[in-house]
Amino acid sequence: MAAVPGGRRSGPAAGARFFCTAGRGLEPFLMREVRSRLAATQVEYISGKVFFTTCSDLNMLKKLKSAERLFLLIKKQLPFNVSSVSKGKILNEMQRLTNDDPESWLNAISIWKNLLELDAKKVKLSQKNANPLKRKVGENDIIAKKLKTEQMQEIQENKECQLEKQIEEETLEQGNFTTKRDKSQEELQNDVVEAVGTHNQNDLTFRVSCRCSGAIARTFTAQEVGRVIGIALTKQFGWKADLRNPNLEIFIHLSDIYSVVGIPVFRVPLASRAYIKTAGLRSTIAWAMASLAEIKAGAVVLDPMCGLGTILLEAAKEWPDVYYVGADVSDSQLLGACDNLKAAGLKDKIELLKVSVIELPLPSESVDIIISDIPFGKKFKLGKDIKHIIQEMERVLRVGGTIVLLLSEDHHRRLKGCEESSVPLNSKGSRTDKPGSTECLNPEGKAAISEPASSSLAASNQERLDRMPPFGSLVPVERYRVSLGKTDALIYKYRKLHSPGQ
Amino acid sequence: MKLLTHNLLSSHVRGVGPRGFPLRLQATEVRISPVEFNPDFVARMIPKVEWAALLEAADTLHLVEVPKEPIQGYEHDESFLRQMHHVLLEVDVLEGTLQCPESGRLFPISRGIPNMLLSDEETET
Repeated sequence: MAAVPGGRRSGPAAGARFFCTAGRGLEPFLMREVRSRLAATQVEYISGKVFFTTCSDLNMLKKLKSAERLFLLIKKQLPFNVSSVSKGKILNEMQRLTNDDPESWLNAISIWKNLLELDAKKVKLSQKNANPLKRKVGENDIIAKKLKTEQMQEIQENKECQLEKQIEEETLEQGNFTTKRDKSQEELQNDVVEAVGTHNQNDLTFRVSCRCSGAIARTFTAQEVGRVIGIALTKQFGWKADLRNPNLEIFIHLSDIYSVVGIPVFRVPLASRAYIKTAGLRSTIAWAMASLAEIKAGAVVLDPMCGLGTILLEAAKEWPDVYYVGADVSDSQLLGACDNLKAAGLKDKIELLKVSVIELPLPSESVDIIISDIPFGKKFKLGKDIKHIIQEMERVLRVGGTIVLLLSEDHHRRLKGCEESSVPLNSKGSRTDKPGSTECLNPEGKAAISEPASSSLAASNQERLDRMPPFGSLVPVERYRVSLGKTDALIYKYRKLHSPGQ
Repeated sequence: MKLLTHNLLSSHVRGVGPRGFPLRLQATEVRISPVEFNPDFVARMIPKVEWAALLEAADTLHLVEVPKEPIQGYEHDESFLRQMHHVLLEVDVLEGTLQCPESGRLFPISRGIPNMLLSDEETET
């Protein structure tokens, strides 16, 4: 339900409705973030997406750090019933997505145009002041590379039939792509605005990107649905389909929980940072960890296993008045981190050391905050015991300081000191210990789960937490289970209550 | 490596303990580059500074105009803060060594990054 677009105010006056996709487990972070960063209202988490209303403009929306992608909502409704109805009938139903309420489509597009135009004006203004011949090196190259990746990604998605049970999660493929398109995100959006502005609505070109999951995916392919909707759109509005370079992108997700239609607000996923050249840890998770660490101005923040420095980069971008130190034993990682710092313009904010996490050349209680992704998996041979690692971290942390770690299941088990054979059951008898496990609590598949969901998610998190013993003077405070794609990991937050040995 | 970092580092050679601080600095390549002045940030770093270590390092690098100690009301003294900002954040040791004052062990600094990895025999555990 898109609202009427505003006039002179930045962003839509009455607020527009958006939704974000998020990696599993990051939804509580995203809900918190849209509220604090965008003053969002009507925040709902439903089956892998966070819906919210906000008056923010593109500039602010661009800053979302825990989301994968952002969409302007056109339509959200109950799922299509595929059980005993003929395929033809369902296809007719689908056409109603476009035919029943054309106003909602036009409204959303209007809002979208306004957002882009407002942004384009700002960009033109800033470009006037800058040297027109000098391109913004670095960021543009990174964005162009990611756009190419994004295009490849979309082509793949349109071909695939999504039969996964898991809630959708967009993963960005890191690969070697030659960057032929040199346009920045902003320049592309300017192109779109020009195309959209100079023509009337009938000359709009579009492309439908469809995703099906659950029961409907067993009956239809994403392509079929995309085609049906595409034809219906052309019929309804006169727009032409353009698969290569459309003005307007339409995103549809049909699942067991809902049917959602939206317009992607940015070409490149939010999770793809313009300022990070080579990401190690997924930047959404890195930011989420930093957001837990209670970083305050003037703090000393250490990442003793910093790798390519993703966590420090995310933290330094958000909390700049802080002294950041990254350490690693690997030359290649440190070189990569150095590169990343330069590309992000953060060389002055983050210092690097070649040191070992179990032998930190720092006085005891000299660091305020430690944030670290403890490596695991076949790639990393952790010769050191996880307990020794945390012991050394504990030593250098000052009393009252916080530690936020990303742990594998394996680390987690070792820290607890005992074998965890089964996941605890909640009162309803279903397994709750999954990222974004809200659905498990509602086996009937009720659609809207807003505030109570985050607290029941938190409750199941808390329950597990109570079983985690303190580590010396480090007391566990919060924990979150997040998906890393193929595996899950745990974000653990500790606080140092007193000096070890007391 | 900035002097703010040098001020934090301590030798962890076996048996050295607190006598491993401060590390003696030798520099063969230093770069002075402007860093955006943030008075609030500098003011917050002042209480953490180990002054003797800072003065020793600044002396080795032949830096001038280094305050000898925090002055009264430093939080609002822009001239003081600017001087501290320069010493702590704008001086970057690109190549050099850090020496443990107790054991004499040398740690190289290369491309601005100090290498303080110890061999297995040298570590405390």
